[in-house]
Amino acid sequence: MTGTGEFAEFLPAYLAEADELLASAQKDLLAVEEAVRKGQAQPRAVRELFRALHTLKGLSAMVDVEPVVSLAHWMEASLRLADQAGGRLPESSVEPLVEGLRAIELRVRQLGAGKTASPAPANLLERLEALGPQVRDAVPKRARPVKLDAEASFASRLAPSEREQLEGGLAGGQRALRLDFVPSSERAAKGLNINTVRERVAKLADIVKVLPLSGAAAGGASLAFALLLITRAEDGVLLDTVGGPPATVRSLEAPAPAEAPPEDGDGVPEGVEGLPGAAVLEEELEEPEVRRGGGLLRVEVSRLDEAMEWLASLVVNRSRLMRAVAALTQAGAPTREITAILQENGRQLRDLRSAILRLRMVRVGDVLERLPLLVRGLRRATGKAVRLELDVGDAELDKAVADRLLPALVHLVRNAVDHALESPEERQAASKPAEGLVRLTCHASANGQLELTLRDDGRGVDAKAVAKAANAPVPDSADALLDLLCRPGLSTRQEATRTSGRGMGMDIVRRIVVEQLGGELRMDTRKGVGTTFTVCVPLTVTLMDAIVFECAGRRYAVSVGTVEELIDVTGVVRPAGADGLGLVERRGAAVPLVSLARLLDMPVSASEAGQGAKALIVRQRGEPVAFAVDRLVGQQEIVLRPLEDPLVRVPGVAGATDLGDGQPTLVLDLGALGAARVGRRKRASRAGEWVS
Amino acid sequence: MNVLHVLFKVDGTEYAMPAADVVQMESFTGATPVPGAPSHVAGLVQVRGRVIPVVDARVRFGLPAGTQSLDSRVVVGQLGERTVGLLVDSAREVLKLDPRTIQPPPPMVVEGAKGFVKAVAQVGPRLVMLIDFPRVVGEEAADVDGQR
Repeated sequence: MTGTGEFAEFLPAYLAEADELLASAQKDLLAVEEAVRKGQAQPRAVRELFRALHTLKGLSAMVDVEPVVSLAHWMEASLRLADQAGGRLPESSVEPLVEGLRAIELRVRQLGAGKTASPAPANLLERLEALGPQVRDAVPKRARPVKLDAEASFASRLAPSEREQLEGGLAGGQRALRLDFVPSSERAAKGLNINTVRERVAKLADIVKVLPLSGAAAGGASLAFALLLITRAEDGVLLDTVGGPPATVRSLEAPAPAEAPPEDGDGVPEGVEGLPGAAVLEEELEEPEVRRGGGLLRVEVSRLDEAMEWLASLVVNRSRLMRAVAALTQAGAPTREITAILQENGRQLRDLRSAILRLRMVRVGDVLERLPLLVRGLRRATGKAVRLELDVGDAELDKAVADRLLPALVHLVRNAVDHALESPEERQAASKPAEGLVRLTCHASANGQLELTLRDDGRGVDAKAVAKAANAPVPDSADALLDLLCRPGLSTRQEATRTSGRGMGMDIVRRIVVEQLGGELRMDTRKGVGTTFTVCVPLTVTLMDAIVFECAGRRYAVSVGTVEELIDVTGVVRPAGADGLGLVERRGAAVPLVSLARLLDMPVSASEAGQGAKALIVRQRGEPVAFAVDRLVGQQEIVLRPLEDPLVRVPGVAGATDLGDGQPTLVLDLGALGAARVGRRKRASRAGEWVS
Repeated sequence: MNVLHVLFKVDGTEYAMPAADVVQMESFTGATPVPGAPSHVAGLVQVRGRVIPVVDARVRFGLPAGTQSLDSRVVVGQLGERTVGLLVDSAREVLKLDPRTIQPPPPMVVEGAKGFVKAVAQVGPRLVMLIDFPRVVGEEAADVDGQR
């Protein structure tokens, strides 16, 4: 590799851009594949795919990543031909293209991991190169008769693919229309210009092309735009969208089944010329389409992290300031004004925090872009018929959370297809549709959490088989079954995954969701009906509102979002044989009371008897559990520092924070802590039984 | 070439590690214990805005825990991406060790010291143990299976 010094400098920008291009290329390739399967043309996706690869090739050439350049080159070459052929690809071309894209992605990842991109596989390059002739041969020799009554002046400027798109719309029962928009200064004042019109119309119709027309426009204007559309919308609605007359709507459908127009290779009718002036305008108009996401700024995550770090130090500093002021107040100093300033400062920090957090948010939908391609690959690998439904709406998630969560979701989806879904024959025998369904939905809940649900309609988890594989008694609840599935050893046993249908890597999923992200993982399964996994994760993990309390002489913090209620501990009942576990009454229900000091292996405090102590009620695997603590200190904003080192990465500890005293304070995940400890104790006692 | 080393004491014995692996030294004012961490982890301390684990050298070496004093120090070491502290009784000296004075430890020490000592250096009449810092710190994952 030449010029490595410069290369290193450009690498972050290259990786960011390559990532984005790959994501859009994947989406387009799936659209192309879908179209190919239905025997349709997909000119838009073909062109977008071509553009993405073309850009990627250019970028890769700049930073001298030869393998990506050559892969992208041959893919681009065949797509160019496909575009000229109206967006048609032969079925045989899809697989090499998918492989090519995967090969490019792999190499971009290698670069991201600081390695050198491995050479492009020679046989893949050969197959990609061979695609060109295949694409050319697959083009129908003679296009269907053109039915468009397009005006000669712009008919010449329609690419064959655009023509075909309009015809396709007609064939699909939609209307092909020409909508003329006439700009004027009054309209501009109302916010109606060609760009806003484009956006508005795009909501009602597929815009095939926008052509500027100079000269003969309705209403005497010297400039107008003709929008060629495929739509189901009514004329009146469309007219309103562009501000009413002098705008016009005309059908592009020929009045009668017309005879084929004079045929020539490019589909350009004879004796027609485009206006040179208009052609320049057209170039300008194309621009916004090429520049995806105009008005957006691409920022490296490391820069956002940096801003977050500064904010974090401000938050910590504010805590110190508050302590200092409190000390002054106690010493009798006049601190009223400084307290007011501190309060104002707190509000400002909060605003700044939410502004920075918003910067870090990414759309969940964008994060999940990879899943359709994954399912496609699995469909091929397993020979199962699968439909993936994504219903993720506009929910957003912190980039850092999203990056960590994605591998867990990939695991779950892979499990669902690989293990949970039956083969088409089995499904039909069980009178289910041959095609299995995997459905992923998500929504942000009010308490700052994102809830994702992955449902399959497969065979369900066979509890007995899992128990047998794990060499454990058959679990009596879904939670206990999930516990078994998440045992680290289980994933390595091949026969366990084959018989249980689940288990592959579930320990990893749980570790990511529960331990790394401080979230929650639940499962619901019904034999023969299917399995649903529910994943709850906080929208962000770096800055959070926390409840600070004392227990056994130390301070701890816990995320406000996870605490359901704070209660005074009174009237504790201690049932016999419950190993010191208490029960408290809460709205007519008995809630287990756990001594947090005991859970933490801390010396038991004097107030543990329950005199005046407080408890935090947290859901542990769906059930409320009260954790007794000594004293509540208050609610405050904290900066969560995840504990990365293996020595201190323990379940139940989400991270550490600085409350301003220079000592790390543990941020607990009480639900996970309780579950981990209880599980440990159970296992330990069971081991004891076996020994005796 | 003489290599600069940081010297520290644990239970009267002198140990050393290359200064290049040491980020800094901190006096020790207590660590925040982490429930479920391996027993030789004293807890967490904050160093320059980072939160790092501290390994108690005495516990790690199988010695009775000593009392913390004003002399107690945390030697903050860099292990690739990891930053880990080692709690020692005292650390006062930095000196250059001549490679010619460094010998492999006697076989009995190798067996007994679990590989924590990788060499012995002679500094005048004193014997200084060169520790294998990565091994002392270890990678023991936390107490997930209930074994401690």
